[in-house]
Amino acid sequence: MTDPLVQLVVIPVVKLVVILTALLVTVAYLTLLERKVLGYMQVRLGPNRVGPKGLFQPFADVFKLFVKEDLTPAGAQKFVFILAPMLIFVPSFLVWSVIPFGESFSVAGVAVEPFIADINIAVLFILAISSIGVYGLILGGWASNNKFSLMGGLRSAAQMISYEVPMGFAVVSVLLMAGTLSMVGIVESQRSAELWWVFPGLLGFGIYCVCGVAETNRNPFDLPEAEAELVAGFHTEYSGMKFALFYLAEYMNMLLVSSLAVIFFFGGWLPPFPNLLSGLWQLPVLAWIPPVAWYFAKVMCFIFVFIWFRGTFPRYRFDQLMAIGWKWLLPLSLANVLLVGIGVLVFRVWG
Amino acid sequence: MGFMDFLGKLVPFELFKGMAVTGGYFFRRKETIQYPETRMEPADRFRGMFGYDLDRCIDCSLCAKACPIDIIFIEDHVEVNPETKKKKKVIDRYDIDVKRCMFCGLCELACPTEPRSIWLTTKTYETSTYERNEGLYFFKERLADWEGVTAFPGVITPIEGQDPKNPMSKLPVEPAADPATKE
Amino acid sequence: MSGPETPLFDIEEMEINFGPQHPATHGVLRVMVKLDGEKIVESKPIIGYLHRGTEKLFETMDFPACIPHTDRMDYVASATNNQGFCVTMEKLLGISIPPRAAYIRMILAELQRLASHLVWFATHAIDIGAITPFFYNFRDRDEILDLFEEYCGARLTLNTMKIGGVPYELPDGWLDRCRKVADAFPGRIDEYETLLTENRIWKKRTIGIGVISPEEAIEWGLTGPPLRGSGVNWDIRKVFPYDRYDEIDFEIPIGKNCDTYDRYLVRVEEMRQSVRIIQQCLDRLPDGPIMARAPKVLRAKEGMVYGAVEAPKGELGYFIVTTEKGTKPYRCHVRPPSFINLQAMPAMIEGHLVADMIAVIGTLDIVLGEIDR
Repeated sequence: MTDPLVQLVVIPVVKLVVILTALLVTVAYLTLLERKVLGYMQVRLGPNRVGPKGLFQPFADVFKLFVKEDLTPAGAQKFVFILAPMLIFVPSFLVWSVIPFGESFSVAGVAVEPFIADINIAVLFILAISSIGVYGLILGGWASNNKFSLMGGLRSAAQMISYEVPMGFAVVSVLLMAGTLSMVGIVESQRSAELWWVFPGLLGFGIYCVCGVAETNRNPFDLPEAEAELVAGFHTEYSGMKFALFYLAEYMNMLLVSSLAVIFFFGGWLPPFPNLLSGLWQLPVLAWIPPVAWYFAKVMCFIFVFIWFRGTFPRYRFDQLMAIGWKWLLPLSLANVLLVGIGVLVFRVWG
Repeated sequence: MGFMDFLGKLVPFELFKGMAVTGGYFFRRKETIQYPETRMEPADRFRGMFGYDLDRCIDCSLCAKACPIDIIFIEDHVEVNPETKKKKKVIDRYDIDVKRCMFCGLCELACPTEPRSIWLTTKTYETSTYERNEGLYFFKERLADWEGVTAFPGVITPIEGQDPKNPMSKLPVEPAADPATKE
Repeated sequence: MSGPETPLFDIEEMEINFGPQHPATHGVLRVMVKLDGEKIVESKPIIGYLHRGTEKLFETMDFPACIPHTDRMDYVASATNNQGFCVTMEKLLGISIPPRAAYIRMILAELQRLASHLVWFATHAIDIGAITPFFYNFRDRDEILDLFEEYCGARLTLNTMKIGGVPYELPDGWLDRCRKVADAFPGRIDEYETLLTENRIWKKRTIGIGVISPEEAIEWGLTGPPLRGSGVNWDIRKVFPYDRYDEIDFEIPIGKNCDTYDRYLVRVEEMRQSVRIIQQCLDRLPDGPIMARAPKVLRAKEGMVYGAVEAPKGELGYFIVTTEKGTKPYRCHVRPPSFINLQAMPAMIEGHLVADMIAVIGTLDIVLGEIDR
């Protein structure tokens, strides 16, 4: 039905509710996944007491954070102190409005597209909105009235800003190949080219991975939250629900970086090698798996790799971290753009 | 420098080797023991809570002298049997202040009787109480009975099966194989 | 323009206190650091938060009763503490221990060295950010502690040696289990090395940090792996052998570049050499008595003696003064290796960043129980 009520109100509201709920639940279970996977790599089981195999642990965590005492340190600026977690949480949430999860399918004769919006400058939107999160970090560190938090906040902000540049250039190399800024368009271009962009853009993918880990303040680039030096960095003084917002924002950022990597480089919701080796890969069972499942599986692989990195590597010192970002990654990403550009031109000229 | 060296600078091969180690551990057997349901059985010589035998003790006070922190309190008096005129030492007080004990075993080593009258090889390490001053002060009768020290509910106490009169003897029954023991 | 130029901004040095309660200082160590931005200008360690009066306690108890108290100084490596006290007392009283006791003591001491180096590895790695070696190391340490438990009854504060020998005979099957642990160990060390030794992040964090030249190291009085990492070939087990170490064939690893990475390599190689010593002792274990003939109540002659052993952290020395026919030491002073090594820390971290201070504290391998006694 093309009834405007359904088209303009019902479907978007339902999509909003479903997607945002799914996102929150995924992020909550991501905290459990991290603890279990990290535990498994460390010769121990993760949390396994609350519920079968520990599956109710996120609820216990959320409940605990709700009922914790909400402290504001003496001398802290109250307004900014409360504003900072919001400034970091809301952009992480907002960005998910343009990320596509699958192909459009029809439900009771109505075409439903599993994303909230598909604007044709989606990549720009994402890069811009996710940069607002840096404000939350700086203000959170500053408003805590604590030398260590301030140092942590400044370091974290410097790290995030300086790694956004090579990340942007790595994404530019994908845009050169895809030819469009819209997220759905990028995935469709991979389908029409019958090639995931990771294969020609391997260097870009490597740069994007490193920058993604640095952007989300994860090991090996997690000095701002290193326990050894600064106890917990910019969110030392936060407790209760405000801390929960910081915590959730970090995991949502992780999920965002993984999703972007999947969409830019690994074909979004496309099944692997749909048309190549057509004889072997035309298994009927592959056609039954919905695209959303492919997307989800790929994102989970990336999350696993994030946790794997955390479990294995030591962390860089701050000046070494900045040196890598500016001295190595930036020239490499520029070289990557040049190479990909030349490749695309050659490819177009020759056929 | 050669191509592989340059590639090695860019692509961190040794980092992937490290990741292979941690990734391998993801699939291996885990070492966690679920405590109240399964319990780590200590070794035979494990120095745990005291066992004391009032009948064997000859009241020589060597254990009290050997204790580095003086937590064994002994008081006695001499009873004279009027018929046989034999003197006998009767122990009035034999108290151990377990809350300050460091379980070093010097009292056990000093005891001259055969088998010893005080021993630590009781394989009990769960001695927590809710009240420290009452719960961890063991006077004579309590040492013999131990009603204050109970294992966590549902766990088999190690004393079952161990001959309290001969603390260095082997257990008659093999303790249940701990699922987490190494192969 | 005349007169001195006044700076536009007042540059003050920030003074930060890494308090006694901190996740990275190995115990209750407090460090006052003066920072210029991120560079450390001056630092001062402040100790005394774990002082328990051990040396005074020694004066109030008999010689055999002192031994459980020596356990608690360096609580990570208590067998070598016991060994130090016993070796010193045997030197004073002129007792020579039977060969079987000496070999058992060597096995226990080297097992303890392995356990202590495992704790060092775990905590050093976790300070620098690698969180998994901690769990692997403690799993392996648990196997060694199980061996100790089967031998003497305790896992951490062992009380496992007596003046004149060792108190217990080895239980059945202990030798086989010990051999199994020792044979499996080099494989484990290889695994840990795969995680860290060639890792570029690890190398970047540890090469060139905390450099101290050999001459300076000797002047500060460093001993143990910090001294050997700076290139000085000095190990008490080779230079003043005790307990039959002169009959065992092993090597002392020496570092070249005097930095944190070399100290790391020295300790890892020491672990391998300890395994070698254990295997040789297990092969050559002689039969015989395990205690020398010594009276039950030890009475000492008048005199003073200094005896030292090579603890995992460095040279652990005991200076004991006794009176004629006394059953207690008149004075017992302990030379803790961590205390002397910590004194070199301000010199080692000057000019480095705050993150390096944590690495240097880890590489010196200090235990506050020993420093404060």
